[in-house]
Amino acid sequence: MVTMREGQGTERNASVATRAESGEGTGQPILSSGSAFAILRLSGTQFLLYTVLLVLLIVTFIPIVYLVALSLKDNGQIYGRFWSMPDPYRWENFALGSLAIWRAVLNSILTSGSSTAATVVLASLSGYVFARHRFPGKEMIYTGILALLMIPPILTLIPAYVLILNMGLENTYWALILPWTSGGQVFALLLCRSFFATLPEEFFDAARIDGASELQSFARIAVPLSAPILVTVAVVRLVTTYNQFMWPLVVISSPKRQVVAVALTQFTSEIGVTDLGPQMAGYILASVPLIVLFSFGMRHYVRGLTAGGLKA
Amino acid sequence: MSGLRFRRSAAPLWRAGGAIAIAAAILLAITLPLSAQSPEGLLWEHVADSRVQAVAVSEDGSLVAVGSRDNSLRLFDARGQLLWSFEAENSILGLDMSPDGRWIAVASEDRHIFLLDGDGSELWKFKAARPMNNAAVARDGSLVTATSDDRTVYVFDNNGNLLWQEELGIGVRAVDIYGSAEKARLVLGSDDGLITIYSREGRNLLQIRLDYNVISVSVTPNGARVLAGTGDGSAILLNGANGREIWRFRAEDSVSSVSLAGDGSSALIGSEDGSAYLLDGDGNLTHQFRQESEVLSVSLAGDGNSLSVGAVSGSARVYDRAAALSGAARSSAQRQRTLLAVISAIVLLILAAVWAARNTAAGQQAWQRSAAGPVGVLQTMWSARLSYLLILPTLALLLTFNYYPAFSGLYHAFTDWSPGVRTEWVGLANFQSLMDNRFFLSGFRNAAILVVVSIAKTMTMPLLVAEFIFNLRNRFSQYWFRTLFVVPIVLPAVVEILVWNNIYDPAIGLLNESLKLVGLEEFTRVWYGDASVALGSIIFIGVPWVNAFALLIFYGGLISISNEIIDASLVDGASTWRRFWSIDLPLLMGQVKLLLILNFINAVQTFELVFLTTGGGPGAATYTPALELYYKAMRMDRMGIASAIGMILFIIILAGTVINMRFVSSATEYEA
Repeated sequence: MVTMREGQGTERNASVATRAESGEGTGQPILSSGSAFAILRLSGTQFLLYTVLLVLLIVTFIPIVYLVALSLKDNGQIYGRFWSMPDPYRWENFALGSLAIWRAVLNSILTSGSSTAATVVLASLSGYVFARHRFPGKEMIYTGILALLMIPPILTLIPAYVLILNMGLENTYWALILPWTSGGQVFALLLCRSFFATLPEEFFDAARIDGASELQSFARIAVPLSAPILVTVAVVRLVTTYNQFMWPLVVISSPKRQVVAVALTQFTSEIGVTDLGPQMAGYILASVPLIVLFSFGMRHYVRGLTAGGLKA
Repeated sequence: MSGLRFRRSAAPLWRAGGAIAIAAAILLAITLPLSAQSPEGLLWEHVADSRVQAVAVSEDGSLVAVGSRDNSLRLFDARGQLLWSFEAENSILGLDMSPDGRWIAVASEDRHIFLLDGDGSELWKFKAARPMNNAAVARDGSLVTATSDDRTVYVFDNNGNLLWQEELGIGVRAVDIYGSAEKARLVLGSDDGLITIYSREGRNLLQIRLDYNVISVSVTPNGARVLAGTGDGSAILLNGANGREIWRFRAEDSVSSVSLAGDGSSALIGSEDGSAYLLDGDGNLTHQFRQESEVLSVSLAGDGNSLSVGAVSGSARVYDRAAALSGAARSSAQRQRTLLAVISAIVLLILAAVWAARNTAAGQQAWQRSAAGPVGVLQTMWSARLSYLLILPTLALLLTFNYYPAFSGLYHAFTDWSPGVRTEWVGLANFQSLMDNRFFLSGFRNAAILVVVSIAKTMTMPLLVAEFIFNLRNRFSQYWFRTLFVVPIVLPAVVEILVWNNIYDPAIGLLNESLKLVGLEEFTRVWYGDASVALGSIIFIGVPWVNAFALLIFYGGLISISNEIIDASLVDGASTWRRFWSIDLPLLMGQVKLLLILNFINAVQTFELVFLTTGGGPGAATYTPALELYYKAMRMDRMGIASAIGMILFIIILAGTVINMRFVSSATEYEA
């Protein structure tokens, strides 16, 4: 048993890689020894597994169902007939909710999107340099950057806020974009460097012989080959920044420039929506960008977070 | 793939972590000897065994009256020489002195109000049903007033004749008088947050409503400005003509006493947080006088130049404002210390560079090349200029928005920091004050609970569900269960909390409604408002805690276990249970550790979860350190203390990470 496990070591690591790449829904047959008709027959244990999973699934979905149900009711229906289904369905709640939060959603998309784009560009460039160039002080600078993984956001929150104040950027999009761009680079650089390091040297030699400049071989060879890792970085950064709450709360005071995560919590006080239905509809609408993002980027997200390791 | 990368990055991280820990330790070492500071601007102090409960200063600061719990009232001259003393039959709770020092009104726990003349002779006294708790006298002595624990205000003329009295029916102890003779007016603040201005005859002229109980009021001689200290720790300057708020200052704890200079150009605020705050006419803090105990009473001379502070510890201190301010302005010493810190940071970096040159392969190469001559290194650097140029934007951003704030935070943790106003080195005072801050301490306990619970949640339910799904025989069901359990990840984290707020809503929330539906009405409650269940309610959010991310990680780990191992275990006749403990779990250790550290780091910094639900309440029941950090920085402008909290959390996270990393490396060996 033990010897076998040791022998499996390298192969196992390789198979993690391929499975992670292939991602969703392509799990191999788990028990090759299981015969075909065993699937049809639910043994006692299997029945138990199904029951427990179903119960957990239902409980997990209660808040979501509750959210959707409330989003289609008006206050009268909620307070008067709490347990009944929405009748009539108040689809106009979604119109009201979107009126209240569209601006915040756009702010979020704008700031998350631009900071993510900048992060990807900068981190791929410097990741390339750290992976393929030799220059004095390289490892030291790289270690210095990695050390930032040890710095929790809570330590830098207040000084960074004061810095933003001193720069006069408080209450502007820059107050979000610049620190997010900067902060995302550490994890992105880690991913990009290790990916670029795996690219075969021959490609770059060939390019050099053909007379390509350093920047050309970066743009024409490294970037196209590393598209998957760059998408991973982008998805993780988009999700992370879209969910950011504390930093925008601190540096953005104007409701006009506020991002959606904070704006949702200020529904009643700032935006003036007091009815529950439109509020709940707003919550659902605020999730739409994430639904879109996850529908194609889920496996990138998981891979990115697993590989990034320390920094969520 | 993930495991490899994780391990490769672990080694430099480890080293960097060590370097940061050393840097923090050195910073701390620099601070220690500097933490002792001499009090600035102190003219003299009177130290007694019993608490000083009332102080008053004459207009020119030449007379200082000190009333204490040992029943005595002492009058000192400007140099601190005792002129005379007066004994009541119980402790002195309040006193007021006319600007020229001719009249002194004294309220005592022996239920009397006394009017004394400038020589300390008793002119008359009046007895109420309960102890008198505060007194005030007009500048010409023509009107004397006292408030009593019997919830009544008494008003007398100069000869001790009771002009009128009013029973308010609520606690009252904030009183002051402005104007003179027939134009004298009475300003009264009570526990219901009302400030009322009465005429000499007791006519109600103006009422101002504040949000919290009024503990102390002070008014300028012309009545134009009224300063009120309230129970929530605010000092509020009001326009005496229309009651509008002009500015507001927040102390860290309840305000016990306020005093306003004659021309309204400065204000002194004493708080139970152990400080007296000197503000300018616009409400900006100009100096903070720290005391070793709660400040019970403060008084500011009419010209604002001399001020006195009475504290629980029994000390009455008299300060000279100009000296205090110039002392604070003597910040060249501060700058030297900053310089020292910067230099030591640079030295540290150089040492780290030398160490790296000696101990890493790349460093040794650079070292050898530089041994060939400094020109050689410069030449290599010049030929690699493109590399430097390409990483320059990254480095510039990181230095500005990550490195600088990190070091700034570590440095300012040792300062009293008001950005743009002043930065004053206070050594370990911030940390000491945190040790007495019940919100922070309670937050610490809660954070510990949240860390444990968060780790327990992530290690149990997602692993259980992953294992269950993995053990389903039907691949179709496996796919659907996994997909459906992951769906909730599309809700932004904030939305999940907000929906749960709604579920807990005491008026029309799902939880209370469900309890009513099944006839368990007695279990319904205000979930966030009940101190005994508030933290539990927060922890319960997200039940059944099948975290999508953790589930995917565990499931990914399970499907990557090779079939041969599982088949072999079947051949050996191992039960599912046995397989879980002997194969799955050991092979999942990498995933376990990743989730362990991620959860630890996040839970230590818990903020949204309490900020959006209970806001830390009720009381301090659900505070977390991060929440206290936010309140201190954003609501109280205590950036130094906030930085100190940040530093403490940082050290905890660093320690946890280092411990976890040791644990990781030892266990991954077993895995391979």
